[in-house]
Amino acid sequence: MKFIDTLHGSGWRTVGGEDGPAPHPLPREGQLLTLEQWHAVRDTWPQGLRTAVQLSNTVNVADLVSDLPRLALVVLHFPKWTDGRAYTQARLLRQRLRYGGEIRATGDVVVDMLPLLHRCGFDAVVLRQGQSLDDAQRALRFFEAHYQGDAVEHRPLFGRASA
Amino acid sequence: MYRYTDFDKRFVRARAAQFRDQLERHLAGTLGDEEFRPLRLQNGWYVQRHAPMLRVAVPYGAISSTQLRQLARIADEFDRGWGHFTTRQNLQFNWIALNRAADVMDLLAEVDMHGIQTSGNCIRNITSDALAGVAADEVVDPRPYCELLRQWSTLHPEFAFLPRKFKIAVSGAREDRAAIAWHDIGLELHRNSLGEVGFRVLVGGGMGRTPLIASEISAFIPWQQILVYLEAIVRIYNRFGRRDNAYKARIKILVKAEGQRFIDEVNAEFQAILNQDVDGQAQLITTAEFDRVAACFARPEAVVPQADAMAHGPSSPAYARWVQRNVHAHQVPGWRAVTLSVKRAGQAPGDVTSAQMRAAADIAERHACGELRVTHDQNLLLPWVRVQDLPAVYEAARAAGYATPNIGLVTDMIACPGGDFCALANARSIPIAAELTERFDDLDAVFDMGDIDLHISGCINSCGHHHSGHIGVLGVDKDGAEWYQVTLGGSDGSSLAPTPVPGRVIGPSFAADEVVDAIEALLGVFSTRRLSGERFIDAVHRLGLEPFKQAAHAVRRSTARPTEETPA
Repeated sequence: MKFIDTLHGSGWRTVGGEDGPAPHPLPREGQLLTLEQWHAVRDTWPQGLRTAVQLSNTVNVADLVSDLPRLALVVLHFPKWTDGRAYTQARLLRQRLRYGGEIRATGDVVVDMLPLLHRCGFDAVVLRQGQSLDDAQRALRFFEAHYQGDAVEHRPLFGRASA
Repeated sequence: MYRYTDFDKRFVRARAAQFRDQLERHLAGTLGDEEFRPLRLQNGWYVQRHAPMLRVAVPYGAISSTQLRQLARIADEFDRGWGHFTTRQNLQFNWIALNRAADVMDLLAEVDMHGIQTSGNCIRNITSDALAGVAADEVVDPRPYCELLRQWSTLHPEFAFLPRKFKIAVSGAREDRAAIAWHDIGLELHRNSLGEVGFRVLVGGGMGRTPLIASEISAFIPWQQILVYLEAIVRIYNRFGRRDNAYKARIKILVKAEGQRFIDEVNAEFQAILNQDVDGQAQLITTAEFDRVAACFARPEAVVPQADAMAHGPSSPAYARWVQRNVHAHQVPGWRAVTLSVKRAGQAPGDVTSAQMRAAADIAERHACGELRVTHDQNLLLPWVRVQDLPAVYEAARAAGYATPNIGLVTDMIACPGGDFCALANARSIPIAAELTERFDDLDAVFDMGDIDLHISGCINSCGHHHSGHIGVLGVDKDGAEWYQVTLGGSDGSSLAPTPVPGRVIGPSFAADEVVDAIEALLGVFSTRRLSGERFIDAVHRLGLEPFKQAAHAVRRSTARPTEETPA
C-alpha cells in the first residue's frame, strides 16, 4: 500500500478553470481529470499521455472499460468513511475489468479502512488529515488470511492450494 | 456442531487483537467517538443507557455447554451475573465496562466465540431454524449451509459499510420456523425434481417503520452457486441502496422501488461474476468444502434410533403439559427436542442468570450431547434428548427455572429489552411483559387458550418482532410518555398462519396502565366467541378485527375521549 502525503504533492495535478474544473483541459502529462473532463477530451486525447481520472462513488466503473488502458490512475472517493460504495467500484475495476493501474482512495479515509481497501484492490491511499501512518500500517497486519476471495487473493479460502 | 479449524481459531483471536488495538487507541484519545463507533458496533459493542451492551454472536443459534459456561463466567466476572437471549439467536450482556471490553473478547475467543458483525451496517449473524438437524419435517439440514454463509459473510471486505444492516435467515424444513420472509434475504432449502439441493431465494423483507414481506427472486439456486448469488444481491444493494435516509436504507425499499429492474440487475451481476470475473468459477462451493463442513454436523454417535417408548414421568398435570408444549418431534426414532423455557415469572423474557446458564449447560451435557440452541423466540432448546430421559430432563429443568410448560402459548412472549436498557427504545417492554406474565399466571387458562404469538417491541426498530405477532405491542413515545400501539393478526410465516403478514393496528395507542387490560380484552373476545378447539389466529381471521377493536377500546380509561367512545 502506497501512502500519499499530499503536503508534498501527489504527483498529479487537477486542472482548474476560472469557475471549477476547466471544461476542456489541454493534453499534458500527469493530469488528474474529473470524469466530465475526461469525457470531453477522450476522443482527441493523445495516446500514451499519463492520465488519471477521479470518480464519484456513484459512477458505474463498467462504463470506463474501453478507457482503462489509457488511464494510469483511477481515484475513488469516500465522501464519508462509512459509505462503502467505492469498495465495490475497486473490486469491479480489478476483478472484472482487469484494471492494472493504480487505484487510489481519497476523501474521508481513516486508518481502520486499510484492510478493506487493500483487499478490494486499492493500492494507494491519501489518509484524512491527522491519521497516523503507524496505525494504518499496523491495521494491515492483524490477519494472515480471510475466508472470501477478494481483489488480492482471488480464490476463497477453500479454493486455495494451501488451504 | 461446527468445529473450528486452527485457522478459524487464529482468525477470531486476530479479530480480538484488532479490537484491542482499536479500543486502546480510543481510550488513549487518538481514535474519536465517531470513528470508534462503527468499529465497536461491528464487534457487538453498543453504548446503552447504563453501560455498553455486548451482543455475542451465536451463529444460527448453535451453542455448546462449554461456550455457555464461558458466557456464565463472563456474566459473573464482567457483568452483573446475567445475560439476555435475543430474537436473532444471540446473547447480550448489559453491564460490562468498556475499558474491559478487549478482555471479554479474548475470553470469547478462547471458546471460539466473538461479536463479529452482530451490529453495524453489514451482514449480521445468520439465523436459522432452532430445530435444524433434528426437525421431523426437515427437507435439508440448513446448518452446513449456514456455516458456509457465516464464513463468506465474515469480514467480507466489500460489504462492511452497506447502506444499512443486512439480515439473512435460512430454513430447510416444511415449516418455516426462521421467519425467513421477514429478512433482507430469506433462504429456503429444498430439492428440485431431480433431487438436487438448492435454495429458494426471497429478498426485501423487514420490519421497522415499513414492514414488508420478502418476495421471491429465484425459485432454485443450486447450492454450489449460493455464495455467488448472495454476493450479487448484496453488491447491487451496496451500489444502489439509499444512503440519504436511514429509514429508507434497507434493501426492502430498493426492492420495492425497483421491482423487476432490481431482479434483472441481480441476475446480470450473478452471471457477470461467474463468467467475467477473474476466478469467478472458483467462487462456487466445492463438494470437498461442503463435505468438510457437513462432516461437523454429523449426528452425535450416541444418537441412534431406538424404541420410542415414553418413560413413566411424574403424574402431575404440569409434566403432562410440559411434554405437550415443550417437547418436540425428532427425526430420529426414540429421540426428542426439548425447549427450556426462558419465559417465567420474575425474569424478563430471554433473561438468564449465570447460574441458569450453568444449569442449562449441565443439562445439555448430561442429556443432549453437550449442545443447545438459542431459539428465535428467546428460549433454549436441547436438540438430542432420549425419550426415556424426559422425566429427568424435566426435573433438572424445573430445578433451574426452565420448565414452564408454555412454549407457543401467550406467556411465551417475545420481548426486546426495551426502555429499561436500550437507548433507542421509546417505551419499556419488560414491565409490560412482567404484568402480562402476572396477569396470565393461571396455567390452566393459558394452556386452554392454545397457541398465541405475542410479540412486544419497545420501539419501531422492531427487535421484539411486534409486526409478526398474532398480537403485537409497539412502544411509542408521545410528549415524553410511554404509549403502546396494539396490532392484531400478524404472522411470522410458521404453520399456525403460513402467510407472513404484518398485524393491523386496532386503534389509537393505549396508555401504559391500559395496554395489559387491552390484551386481556382481546383474549376475552377469543374465549367467548371461540369455536371448539379453535386457535386464536384462526378466530381473528374468522371474526375480523372489529369485535376485538371494540373490546380493547372499552377498557380505555386515560385515553378515553368522547370522540372515541362510539366507534364508527
